[in-house]
Amino acid sequence: MTTLPLFRRAFFDSWRSTLAWAAGLTGAALLYLPLYPSIGGSAQMQDMINALPAEMTKALNYDQIATGPGYTQATLFGLLGFLLMTIASVGWGAAAVGGDEESGQLELTLAHGVRRIQVVLERALALLLRVVLLTVLVLLLVLGLNGPAQLGIDAGNVAGAAVLFAGLALLSGTAALCAGAVSGRRTYGLAAGAAVGVLGYVFNAVGRQSPDVEWLLTLSPYHWAYGNSPVTNGADWGAAGLLWGLSAALVALAAVALDRRDVGA
Amino acid sequence: MSVAVSAQSLTKSFGRREVLHGVDFSVAAGSVFGVIGPNGAGKTTTMRCLLDIIRPSSGQVRVLGVDPRTGGPGLRRRIGYLPGELFLEGRVTGRKLLAHYQAISGPVPPGRIDALAERLGLDLDRHTRKLSKGNKQKLGLVQAFMHQPELLILDEPTSGLDPLVQQEFHGMVREARHRGQTIFLSSHVLSEIQQTVDTVGILRDGRIIAVEPVGGLQAGAIRRIRLTASKASGLTADDAVALLAGVPGVGQVQVLESDGGVTLAAVLEGAIQPLVRTLGQLPLTDLVIGEPDLEEAVLRLYEGGQEEPR
Repeated sequence: MTTLPLFRRAFFDSWRSTLAWAAGLTGAALLYLPLYPSIGGSAQMQDMINALPAEMTKALNYDQIATGPGYTQATLFGLLGFLLMTIASVGWGAAAVGGDEESGQLELTLAHGVRRIQVVLERALALLLRVVLLTVLVLLLVLGLNGPAQLGIDAGNVAGAAVLFAGLALLSGTAALCAGAVSGRRTYGLAAGAAVGVLGYVFNAVGRQSPDVEWLLTLSPYHWAYGNSPVTNGADWGAAGLLWGLSAALVALAAVALDRRDVGA
Repeated sequence: MSVAVSAQSLTKSFGRREVLHGVDFSVAAGSVFGVIGPNGAGKTTTMRCLLDIIRPSSGQVRVLGVDPRTGGPGLRRRIGYLPGELFLEGRVTGRKLLAHYQAISGPVPPGRIDALAERLGLDLDRHTRKLSKGNKQKLGLVQAFMHQPELLILDEPTSGLDPLVQQEFHGMVREARHRGQTIFLSSHVLSEIQQTVDTVGILRDGRIIAVEPVGGLQAGAIRRIRLTASKASGLTADDAVALLAGVPGVGQVQVLESDGGVTLAAVLEGAIQPLVRTLGQLPLTDLVIGEPDLEEAVLRLYEGGQEEPR
């Protein structure tokens, strides 16, 4: 008997999609990072950013792009990379159980010699592995461009930031997986995953504007991960534990929920 | 005789809507049991309960001696299942998909997948989502039969298959039965039930309203009769009608023609022997006794069910 048959299918059958997201993330890194010497580090650019409304630079995290680590944090980890990873992770998470049930294929899988908890866990493992692979790719790209783009990033700090980057994407992805497993609908999974990602981002952007709304930051997974600019200052390991721990809890909840209900009804 | 599948007072509600109102049946091990019934009668729901895909609201279910709620993967490896609506959307070939199902079902004898595919005329190297409905159905049949399970649960197994492949499928059912496998199938094609099944359960509005050996259903079925007798012996149409109407089980006698010869039509329910004896007295020039019309028998059972209080 093959080991982890459901994991293998979920992981290997989606190689095209994994490859496409890898290409997108590579593009994002190659687009942003080599431009640092002419954008982030230049005095002209700094003048331009100073001319922008302060609210806007804070919302985009552009208040820190004068340094190589801050620039990498704001552009790649905080913006385009975050966006691409979140979309990929949410898409996979929503498809893993809810999408499979909605398309009618889960019924046949469950009629075979598998446990429902096993189905959820193996597919969550496939989600995890794909997110980790993409994160390792981003990490290697940053380290590779560190010298040529004069970023001056500490390798330990960026590795820590990558753990948070993966954790943030996983939280949205597992929220999507969980909502899909509870409802049996892909759309609900997508909505839940997108809500975690988008609200996290918005709460961070708004929460940074004034002390009156600072409390929003405590609700923002984005802020948990990036509040202290991990590429510059090193990871907040408590936040990493929280992101990964919550993701694990969502997977466990998905497994229990699927185990207890009718499928395809 | 051991029992492979049984249900007692099986009910299932989705929210407030009860779709099974106490289904009772049992399937003898090594037999072929067919469920027929109109759309929405609860055939698919019953099958899903046997596989623990959905859970009964009340009642008892036993599959191969085990409650499906607790049987787990061990029980399901002993079952082959073909869902009523088969969705295979992956960007994988049939061969890869079957290899996946092989990894999560009982052991498949070497060469078995290719043998089944060849028998059904299925190309295993094409991508599943490019397959026609009939070819997807063949793939579904292969995954259900490939591990030679003790029990086959097949929901509308021939839907989408052309007549030649349907014949092949009937052959597969017969062979499985010879090997001692039990088959539980649903269909709305009566000729199929007639050809493959030992026992028929008729499901209507969430209840089994009749369980009969298929032979019994045939005995209760009516046959259409048409005969022509020559008038040379002085036979009149009235004489012939009177003679025929006197035979037990004959009804609806009609005169179709009485100019040249006398041509009558009637229906027969029950044994044919008394009719044949009576017909010996007539100077017949033509005689047609039709096959038992199962459709009529079943329709009468459906309608009979309607008279019951709900």
